Formats: sequence, structure tokens, C-alpha cells
Amino acid sequence: MATEMALVKPITKFGNASPKFTIPRSFSRCKFTTVRMSATSSPQTPSKPRKKAAKTEIKETLLTPRFYTTDFDEMETLFNTEINKNLNQAEFEALLQEFKTDYNQTHFVRNKEFKEAADKMQGPLRQIFVEFLERSCTAEFSGFLLYKELGRRLKKTNPVVAEIFSLMSRDEARHAGFLNKGLSDFNLALDLGFLTKARKYTFFKPKFIFYATYLSEKIGYWRYITIYRHLKENPEYQCYPIFKYFENWCQDENRHGDFFSALMKAQPQFLNDWKAKLWARFFCLSVYVTMYLNDCQRTAFYEGIGLNTKEFDMHVIIETNRTTARIFPAVLDVENPEFKRKLDRMVEINQKLIAVGETDDIPLVKNLKRIPLVAALASEILAAYLMPPIESGSVDFAEFEPQLVY
Amino acid sequence: MTSVASLGRACWSAAAMAMAQNQNQKLYSQANKPISLPMSANCACNSFFSFNSAAVPPIAAKSSVKTAVAAVDSDGITSSDATAENEQARKYYFVVANAKFMLDEEEHFKELLFERLRLYGERNKEQDFWLVVEPKFLDKFPNITKRLKRPAVALVSTNGLWITMVIYRLVSMCRFMKLRLDRVLSESYEAESVEEALASNPTDLQFEKPEKWVAPYAKYEYGWWEPFLPPGSKEEAKV
Repeated sequence: MATEMALVKPITKFGNASPKFTIPRSFSRCKFTTVRMSATSSPQTPSKPRKKAAKTEIKETLLTPRFYTTDFDEMETLFNTEINKNLNQAEFEALLQEFKTDYNQTHFVRNKEFKEAADKMQGPLRQIFVEFLERSCTAEFSGFLLYKELGRRLKKTNPVVAEIFSLMSRDEARHAGFLNKGLSDFNLALDLGFLTKARKYTFFKPKFIFYATYLSEKIGYWRYITIYRHLKENPEYQCYPIFKYFENWCQDENRHGDFFSALMKAQPQFLNDWKAKLWARFFCLSVYVTMYLNDCQRTAFYEGIGLNTKEFDMHVIIETNRTTARIFPAVLDVENPEFKRKLDRMVEINQKLIAVGETDDIPLVKNLKRIPLVAALASEILAAYLMPPIESGSVDFAEFEPQLVY
Repeated sequence: MTSVASLGRACWSAAAMAMAQNQNQKLYSQANKPISLPMSANCACNSFFSFNSAAVPPIAAKSSVKTAVAAVDSDGITSSDATAENEQARKYYFVVANAKFMLDEEEHFKELLFERLRLYGERNKEQDFWLVVEPKFLDKFPNITKRLKRPAVALVSTNGLWITMVIYRLVSMCRFMKLRLDRVLSESYEAESVEEALASNPTDLQFEKPEKWVAPYAKYEYGWWEPFLPPGSKEEAKV
């Protein structure tokens, strides 16, 4: 699962109401991902005694990768084959076969290049790489936890779907483990057992879990394949060997996304009304804005691998949006130049917010200074949300179109 | 580099020999097995047993490892249909679409095929899927041809379940065309021999360059599909 779902957290406050936006005050503290891990010089010995130290260090901000939980009882009902006749079992069995094939069973094998590359990396780039590994590992691990539990809970009502979830959790665990081993080259290790217990879980209704995870997987695919293909053509920027694994790795993400798309098609009530359109736009915007703001704070990372951060992000956003339009009933008009202008203004405001946080003012003054900025950011986000959307969605639901030619 | 290839009727001798050998050694005998069945054969994938295959290149595996193929059937890449008898017709499943869509627009499709080819190489599994440009078998499907924009390309496999999956994923991935799942053009047919099954009509493929290409990487190169053409047609393409 990709990292780009953090901004959606506030919506849990609204329950089933129509999408709205608020920018919590913590927004300004989001300069760095703050899953501070137990830094240890001997990564082979997982750090039980360090838990205490780490505990004080977990700070969650709006832009941090999240852990999710959902209404598992509702999930059980949704995928009960006796209740839901829309479930296309042939399709799920074909997908299950694909997951069982396990394309990447032997892919994630490390070599000595990792340690060498990590040792060479110094200064700010080293810091930013560590952060990249932490965030990615947390995001993958969050997928592991959610899918594992879904695999367990759906076993009775829908063994096929349950098994796919279990196999997806296998993939996520593999990814997270691989990233965590990457951290060990930097003499660090994420204590995943501790994270499991200590992190807050964001609750989403199943419908929102589908939107959120679908987008996470697809945007993750687009990020990884873009980095991979760029580095393949520009090997001089290949400063860390993990990127060489992205080509096969991101096929997992893409497969996961397609499975969620099958799940959503099996629940047309989640896709075919006006509320679904509003939510679809909301989730798209949350994911895109989160990524854009996050990445624009870390341009050193993208420049370090030879990418222009904003161009990279826009490419990923546009492609993810096109993919998403295959299933969501409405998506944002991200190819309208005005959309990017709005994102850029958000970045500027966000930078000012961060600057306020870094001043020596007393908290009250800081908060007062933040008010107009938060309001400006909120209005930009709202304006982006209200831009005329693009009607989209699976043509499987559309009227029969005999003029289609393949 | 030219961007035109001529793909023609295959010269089949090499492929035909390989297939005959293969048929002798397959353990199964169901020619018309429905595509939802082979699940039971695939239950061992959760184990972390790894096939040690680093030294074996994808295609070189063809003649030496037939018996091993049956032994690793539990890895999920087993064909759902296979014939035991030489004489028996074999069933082929396909999904067909306009060539531009399959080979030029949908870059995912290339990734999906190469991922599978890589896996087959790693597991010493004989290739059982091909891309056929302007396949002759389409003549048997007038209902398909009348809706199909030409030139067309078919993905053909003896593994029906996999084709079902590809259809599903093609539909969820494709970006440019409104593709309807229940109207994706997919069927199956039987053929006595692999060369009959995969015969194609000579065709020039030409794709216009995209008007604007803004991705921070180049498009997959024209001709990426050549490893998937039936054996024989590659030689033909060079003539």
C-alpha cells in the first residue's frame, strides 16, 4: 500500500455526512514524518528494551502514513455469497489464481549493494532516504495488518475473497520486511510489533476502506513504475539498489488495486449514487493533495534521484486519476492546468505554515499566525474540490453501447 | 530502426516438434475442462519453497524440463487444459482487441506479459501464451470480427483461467478506451496443432507516435511484443 492516504483522516469526524474539509491545527507540524523508530546500532536484535524510548517519540501528523481498521462485521455481510448475488465468483477465482501464482516469491532477495550504497550516502540525502524507507515500510505494514485481519474475518463467509486478502497480506509483509532490512543498512530498524500496538488506527467504514486502499495501491503502482522507468533510463541517479526492485514490486500494487476494483464492482451501491460521486472526488483530492504536499517538502529526495518533484507528482496524479476513472463514478479534472495551480498555491501556504511552526514565538502567537494560513489552505482545497469534476466509472454499469468497437 | 514489422504465416517446424514432445509428457487428459476447475491443483503457493532457477534463461528451458513442468504444477501457472494424447485437439482461450490498444496504448499489458514470462523462466515452465497478430482463427468468429477494429491482436493461452484474469485486468487498467467487461471479445476454440492454433495473416503494424508524451520516461519501444509471438513468426518478421 502506498503512503498517500494521510489527509483523509479528518473525515472520520463527519460520519456519513457529505464531504467537508477542515484543517486541524496539527497541520503545521507536518514537516517530517514522525514515526521515529528505535534507532539501534545492532538491527539484528529487535529492540524490546527500546520500546519505552520509542513510545515517547511516536508523533502522528496529518501527513503520516496511517493504520486502518474497519467494520469487519459489515465486511462479512458484504461478501457473504448467499446475501450478495453480485459477486462474480469466476472473476474472483481468476484473481485468486493470479495471487497464488506468487510472481514475486523469490524477488525480494538482497545483495551487498545495499549496504555499500547506504554507507556512501551522507548528509541530508541520507536523512531523507531513511525517512523514505520508514514511511514506505509503515505504509506497507499498515496494508499487511488490514489485509491479514480481513483475510481472517472473511474466511467463513467468502473463502475466495478471504484467501486473496491473506495473499495480499503476504505481499505487504514481504514489502515491509524488505524495506525494514533496507533500514538496517542505515543501522536502524522499525519495531513493527511495537508499531502494531502503539499506533492509532483510523477507522473507516468498508466503503471508504475500498476507496482509500484502491487509491493507495494504484498511486503506489504509478509512483514505483515511474521511478523505476526513469532510473532505468538514467542509471547515473541509481543511488540505492531498492529502486531496481520496483518494476516487479509495483506489479503487486497494481494487482492489489485491481482486486479492490473487483470488490467495488461487486458492491455497486458504493459507486452508483450522488454521494458516491462526492466521496470519490473527496478521496482522490485527499490522496493527491497529501502526496503533493508531502513530496514538495522532500524535493531533495526526488532531485537526488534526478526527478523534478512537481513534474513527477503531476505525472503520477494524472495517471492515477485516469486509472481511477475506470472505477470511481467521478474523478477530479486534474489535467486542467488550474488544478496544478491550486496545488502549487497549497504548497506555498503549507510552507508558510511550517515556517510559523519553526519560529520562536509562544504557542498562542503561533496559533494566531496560523489562522489566516489555515483558512487560505482550506479554501484552496475546497476550491479544488469544487472544480467541475469528470463523470467517470466502469462502463460495466453504463447503458449498453452497441457502437463500441474494440 | 524501422517501425514496421511484417508478421506472417509462421514456419512451424521447430514449434511443432516442441509441442509434440510436450503433449507426450503432460499428465492431464482433459481437453474441454471448464475454466473454473483447476483451482484444486494450486494449493501450495503459500509455502516459501523456491524454485532454484537463476541459471535457466526463459526460453532455453523448452526442451529439457518437460517432466519438471508437471511436478511444479502447484505453483499456479498450470494450464487449465492440456492434452495427453497426440491426436486430441487442444483448447485455446483468447482475448482479442485492436492492435493499437493491445500493443501501443496499454503499457500495463506489456508489464503483465513480461512479468509472466519472467516467472516462467524462473520456474522452468514452458510458455503457454502467445500474441497473435491478425489471427486466422478469427474467421471462425464472425460475431467478433464484425465488431473488431483491425488490425487486431489476440492473446492466446491454453490456460483459460489466466485469460479470464487478463480480461478482467485489461478492463480495469485500460485508460483510453471504454471497454465493457461483458463485451470484451473473448472466446475459445480447439485446434489440432499449435501451428494451426496460432496461425496468423501477414500484417504490417504501424502506430502513430503519441501527440504529446509527458512522462518522465520513454514509451516502451515498438516491437516489445516480439518475445510473445509464436515461434517461427519472429523469423518471418525479419524477411
